[in-house]
Amino acid sequence: MKLFSKQALAGAIALALLGISGQASAIVNVQCPGDNNGDADWNDAGESQPANTKCMHLIAGDSYAMMSDGNPLYTFGFGDQTGTAPDQVIGEGILSAEWPGPTIELNEGDHFYLNLTNVGTVVRPDLFDPHTVHFHGFPNASAAFDGVPEVSISINMGSTLTYYYNIVEPGTYLYHCHVEATEHMEMGMLANLYVHPIQDELGCFDFGADNPGTTEYDPVRIPNGNCAAAVGSGGYVYNDGDGTTAFDVESAIQLSSFDQVFHDASLFVQPLPFALLEGNYPQFNGRGYPDTINPDPLPAPADATDPIADPAGVNGGKVTGTVGEPLTDGAVTQLLGSRIQLDRNTGEQRLLLRLSNVGLDRFWTITAMGLTMKVVGTGARHMRGIDGKNIYKEAASHNFGGGETLDIIIDTTDVAPGTYFLHATEVHQMSNATQLDGGMITEIVIN
Amino acid sequence: MKQLLKQPGRLLGLLFLGMSSALTVQQAQAEHDIRGISQGANGVFNLYAYPFNMNLPEGTSLYMWGFGDLDLGEGASHQAGANYQLPQYPAPTLIVTEGEAVTINLVNYGVPDNISIEMTGHEIDSQCIDIPAPGGPTPTTGATNCTAGLFTNEAAVGQAVSYTFTAGSPGTYIYHSLAGQNPGLHTEMGLVGVMVVRPADYDPINNRTAYGAGTGTDYDHENLYLMTEVDPDIHIQMEKGHKNHFTNTDRYAKVWFINGRVFPDLFQGDYNTLFPNQPYEALVMSRPGDVVLVRNVNAGQDAHPMHYHGENLRFIGRDGKMLSSDGAVADLGRSDNTINSQPKQTVDALWTWTGKDLGWDIYGHDAGHNCIDVSPRDGYADANSDYPGEWCNDHGKPIPVSLPGVGDLTLGGWWSGSPFLGDTGDLPPGEGGLNPFGGYFLVWHSHAEKELTTFDIFPGGSLGSVVVLPPGTPIE
Repeated sequence: MKLFSKQALAGAIALALLGISGQASAIVNVQCPGDNNGDADWNDAGESQPANTKCMHLIAGDSYAMMSDGNPLYTFGFGDQTGTAPDQVIGEGILSAEWPGPTIELNEGDHFYLNLTNVGTVVRPDLFDPHTVHFHGFPNASAAFDGVPEVSISINMGSTLTYYYNIVEPGTYLYHCHVEATEHMEMGMLANLYVHPIQDELGCFDFGADNPGTTEYDPVRIPNGNCAAAVGSGGYVYNDGDGTTAFDVESAIQLSSFDQVFHDASLFVQPLPFALLEGNYPQFNGRGYPDTINPDPLPAPADATDPIADPAGVNGGKVTGTVGEPLTDGAVTQLLGSRIQLDRNTGEQRLLLRLSNVGLDRFWTITAMGLTMKVVGTGARHMRGIDGKNIYKEAASHNFGGGETLDIIIDTTDVAPGTYFLHATEVHQMSNATQLDGGMITEIVIN
Repeated sequence: MKQLLKQPGRLLGLLFLGMSSALTVQQAQAEHDIRGISQGANGVFNLYAYPFNMNLPEGTSLYMWGFGDLDLGEGASHQAGANYQLPQYPAPTLIVTEGEAVTINLVNYGVPDNISIEMTGHEIDSQCIDIPAPGGPTPTTGATNCTAGLFTNEAAVGQAVSYTFTAGSPGTYIYHSLAGQNPGLHTEMGLVGVMVVRPADYDPINNRTAYGAGTGTDYDHENLYLMTEVDPDIHIQMEKGHKNHFTNTDRYAKVWFINGRVFPDLFQGDYNTLFPNQPYEALVMSRPGDVVLVRNVNAGQDAHPMHYHGENLRFIGRDGKMLSSDGAVADLGRSDNTINSQPKQTVDALWTWTGKDLGWDIYGHDAGHNCIDVSPRDGYADANSDYPGEWCNDHGKPIPVSLPGVGDLTLGGWWSGSPFLGDTGDLPPGEGGLNPFGGYFLVWHSHAEKELTTFDIFPGGSLGSVVVLPPGTPIE
């Protein structure tokens, strides 16, 4: 496959849209209060950010990701085009899908405007798939903004759908595309999402009675002195009222796995193996070890031989035929490392792991050899019984399946300095396909 | 009902789909209960086992083994279940009360292997019996013609066994066959179902609780979410009579079920004659503020992470045991939106959707309705409001974004055409139409997404849903 310029590809998508959809307006239409020019930020003259308002402009499209054994896999995914002018978004967005998608970090109280533009899948011009964002775990979700296409709406190529979320529940969520969920999620439309509690700003509080004399039911937050407002990098996981979810360093890690057979079937326009789907590239944040401990973005994907089907490299590049041929227009697609460092000399004692599992075909058990993992939240909720008792769970490992999220605090106060390994206890998942000592391993370095 | 018909769009939606008749039917019970059977006049369950074939929506047929009700629906919980007598998948849901003396008489009419009944969490006595008559008592004669098996007495074709036990603590239990030449096959082949144990003080009108008054487990609607999975190759071998062509390690599931059906069949109503051997639907109905008791059951062999859209669930019990620090109140449950369901485990959990804090008026800010929150002053609209249970802080707030035109969107069949609850919007011909009440469909599904397929076809498998209907909508 020869690569074309972004503009030529954008033009091809525009032509395709003209051909197939007489009624579609097919326009990038960003909705963001206070933003005048549609780039979803407030950096231009005359713009100001309204209080507690966040905007983001995601694209949904395709690209490539490099597995840690050098295998290039075709992906669908999300990319971040916040700050890009609307008429440039499709050109910039094609072949730029990140794996995993851009992390969304929010604060309780935010009004979040999430614009999603479908830039199409240029590697698969035969597809006209719509896309969505499903904010997984969002409380009291409405159908319109829940992103499930069978029961609501999804956005067609060339157009923008804006989701609105009033952020009221802190915790660890995730987001993904729900269109043809098995295919789009296996292809990589998955990402981290988490919400910081208002306790970070106010310190610990209790809810008092309703404001007298007002028309709205609005119980008052009354400081109780059990903890101070968070300063610096740390904070709290939840509005615990007692400071028991305090942490110093946080790390969001998403567990996933790619099935090479599935991705290659998609790349080469073959029937997709749903029933036989079985991941062989287990990953943390879109990388297998040792790429997991690389803190930098990986280089832009370039073609390489298939390390499993063609270990001797006689067939040249798997995708284009030419080893080294760029697979994107310079876009880097794997931004997230997952190596963790705690410097206790600066007070970094407590590590918060925001773990989310997006496995499509299996459960995983996570452990941090030599460290105790305390779960303080599941499914973006504080682990607390209805009588107010904390029901945290301490163990050396925790099993979870697709769609589950865990807030785990590791207290390193009494731990010897050194490098600890966070990994899947299903130890055959510590591999990149046939390459051993890979997959679901990363390091926690404690100084 | 008044609000339901307030807007022309809603009324038209009802008329177009012939749903208007549903409004005239007065239900004996105002809320949803799990469909099943109770012990008949003779104080026993009489079940039989027989093979059958059931169709999947992508066109294949599966050979199954099923339990059926020999009493012909005598103890059916609902009118639609009266006279229902086919072998079924899953097995009949048995509804009993804690402490109740339970007898299950089982006759094997034609399953080509010895069969039995095991009940999770219960110690069962068994004895050989003559074949019971439909609706009859436990036979007192014979009692020698069944087969001693590894775990319990078994019934070969033409034999019968009587299983007796005392119903344990309130909750949800699984029963299944575990017998014959290959016990690992029997749940795979369909010989598996659920027993619901209600608390002693349960009352369908005045005390709808999972574990008894005062345990904090009151609910409005009760729904079964039972997961199983099937390897079609096994069923083909069994249909051919090749019982020895199968080894347990070869098993590789390719079809995933909720309540014995796959998407979209699982939306099609209880006892629908389109699915003669699959009587239980998996579409849950609720209204804002209603409490739904979900009995999440993994009756299969593989683990399933069941994900519930719309709102988190609060866990109240597991495997028939209340999650409690003191035995009095279900106070130990955590909250989650996904249930880690391991084989033969059950979880009871409460789910409530209110629409609170969405930040916009879910009934439309210009729809001219009121929101009265005086007594109790809890933030939610009182019973005399237009939409009881509405979160009044969001009342009158416009939806903050505009939705793209229909030409820019792909529209789901269950999309009402409007973001507002109870409203419908204009859709192009052939689009939508499956949501005449303007409800919010929020899918409940396995988050092991490969399980949303039926034999390699997406969408299918264990993709269920709840629909939140406008206040006042009848729920059966």
